[in-house]
Amino acid sequence: MSDQIELSSPPFDSVSQVRFSPTNPNHLLVAAWDTTVRFYDVAANEQKAKFDHRAAVLTTCFSDTNHAYSGCLDASVRELNLETEKIQHVGQHNDAISCMNYSSESNAVITGSWDRTLRFWDHRSASPQQLSHDLPERVYHMDLTKNTLVVAMASRMFHIYDIRKMDMPAQQRESSLKFMTRSLACMVDGQGYATASTEGRIAVEYFDPSPEAQEKKYAFKCHRQTIEDVDHVWPVNALAFHPIYNTFASAGSDGTVSIWDHKLKKRLRQYQKYKAAIPSVAFNCDGTRLAVGVSYTWDDGEEGLKNAERPAVFVRKVGDEVKPKG
Amino acid sequence: MQCLSCFTQIIRPWCWYCEREFEDEKVLMQHQKAKHFKCNMCPRRLNTAGGLAVHIQQVHKLEPDNLPRIDNALPGRDGYEVEIFGMEGIPAPDVADYKRRKEIELGLSAGSISQPPAKRPKVENRPLTEGELKAQLEAHKALMGAHDTSSSSAPATDGSTGGVYGAGPQTYAAPPAPSPMPPPSGMSPPLGMPPGGPPFFPGGPPPPGAFPGQPPFPPFPGGMPGFPPGPPPPGFPMPPGFPPLGMIPPGGVPFPPPSMRPPFPPPLLPPPHVSSPFPPPIMAGSPPQSSASPNPHPNSTSLNQPPNSLSMSSQPPAAPLPTPVQGQLVLPNPALRQTLPELKKKTALKYDDANFSPDEKRGRSSRYYVTAGQDLTVPPADEPRGTKRARAEDFL
Repeated sequence: MSDQIELSSPPFDSVSQVRFSPTNPNHLLVAAWDTTVRFYDVAANEQKAKFDHRAAVLTTCFSDTNHAYSGCLDASVRELNLETEKIQHVGQHNDAISCMNYSSESNAVITGSWDRTLRFWDHRSASPQQLSHDLPERVYHMDLTKNTLVVAMASRMFHIYDIRKMDMPAQQRESSLKFMTRSLACMVDGQGYATASTEGRIAVEYFDPSPEAQEKKYAFKCHRQTIEDVDHVWPVNALAFHPIYNTFASAGSDGTVSIWDHKLKKRLRQYQKYKAAIPSVAFNCDGTRLAVGVSYTWDDGEEGLKNAERPAVFVRKVGDEVKPKG
Repeated sequence: MQCLSCFTQIIRPWCWYCEREFEDEKVLMQHQKAKHFKCNMCPRRLNTAGGLAVHIQQVHKLEPDNLPRIDNALPGRDGYEVEIFGMEGIPAPDVADYKRRKEIELGLSAGSISQPPAKRPKVENRPLTEGELKAQLEAHKALMGAHDTSSSSAPATDGSTGGVYGAGPQTYAAPPAPSPMPPPSGMSPPLGMPPGGPPFFPGGPPPPGAFPGQPPFPPFPGGMPGFPPGPPPPGFPMPPGFPPLGMIPPGGVPFPPPSMRPPFPPPLLPPPHVSSPFPPPIMAGSPPQSSASPNPHPNSTSLNQPPNSLSMSSQPPAAPLPTPVQGQLVLPNPALRQTLPELKKKTALKYDDANFSPDEKRGRSSRYYVTAGQDLTVPPADEPRGTKRARAEDFL
């Protein structure tokens, strides 16, 4: 297969998140349960740096070309220097950090945690924690488009914020899906977001609260298969929007990745099935590559680890299949 | 003995994909359209696997190397390489293999189906020698004798052949091995069942052990609301607080005063006001004071107290945020507890916890759990190295 490469030094344990640099199309961060964050150059298929942590790393993100952050199961926020491979402790939540985003507009790292808070950090400040915002539930996922922050929580709750006014959520929503929220991604045009649940279903929603805009929201089934009249339904673990065409990729515990055109409500492509569940996918900044983490996602608990495939990270060159048709 | 008719009777049209048998080839083709050549993404049914492949590629835009496997097919027969149309196109080795297995299933001698049935009449028409006749008689007698032991059930089965249709092949006594005769046509063992039982599909619902904290069976109800007053029926455990039958604590506490006798006083019991000659009963599992000091709800104290005190100690009521503990998942906001909605169709949900994500469960498991924020002063890279290495090796 020439259209995808497998990274030659993947993590030893499951991938938790793959994330491309916002500026360099070849720079990829991979956070993993083997307590590492690895920094790769995917064009050269080379691991350029590795950062060991105290516990599993659940999330990571770039801040600039030479720096990144990590969110760890031990509740710490750390800054990673990609040049020197130095780790600097930035701050602390009260429980594991499940997701993070970097806002270039406000130069802040935003972290979400199972301790039911959102926190903003600026490592240059003497007291890095800039803000802590209490939420009703554990934060599972978060995504940022310009100044709009969408926070997906346990108990199917959603808050939408303008990050310049963090005193109040701009909108509070209940998920339109009936099952636990498993993934979230914002559209690149800032119009809305897609979210998916543990029950093989994706919802497309819009920020504009007007009834005309809200009427356009919809949901559809995916990542499922009927075997002998029984519907096998896998969680949709990851969503990622294409930075140019605004189509999106979805990935599930069934090991498949699909590309969707949410405007035409059409599937553009389903890639060949991977050997294991897919915990995370990401497009790079110029939209030419898709990183796919492949590893066990704990759907069957510790039991499932016995038969788990070796973790892998694939980087796939994408072509016209990500362009909307017509 | 028309071997040709017996051949057609036994080997009915069968489906290569699932090895099911059908009355005639028309039904078989309907079956294949419905079960194997049906498109997963739309209601369309195609006539062949090739047609389905072209349909999925052209209509649903799947890459040729990414076609879904043929539905409901046996392992190894779920591909598109073989073009099947009814009974046509079945690879010759598979036909031979199927016939051989059918022979074994039907208790026929090898080759009676799979080989051209020409030789047997020759053998049968040969006049038998005296010795052969004797030997056959002996064999017959022995057989009859063997049957005598189980004769009570055997004739019944023979008489009502239709009644046992569908029972496992082992229900029928194995036909005498040397018998060259096929069984009577009415007595056909179950044909639809391939040897080895129904195919097993991996990826079924997870075993009950996969949900910690949820016992497979609800615990025995403490109150036992269905029981009439009085000691439970034999075979049931005595609830704590009840004296064993025939014994009574001093003072006759559980019984009302003699003026308000129960409608049916238990027999063999001394009258309550008579002080019992027996020592106070010793009840296993219940604290001794429960017999001495009567309690209106003995079960609630003796059974529920320990869990109550446990949960109180582990979850201080003042703290709104439960501190994470290994192996324990606590809902921070129980008012928001989610329940799984009902599903209309038969569904195998691969993840069915509505309140905790897989990552939370993973993070609390002993394999990954760490206490939050212990390394504020320790440089994070040094201390964990040893444990991390061990874990990585463990995984490999």
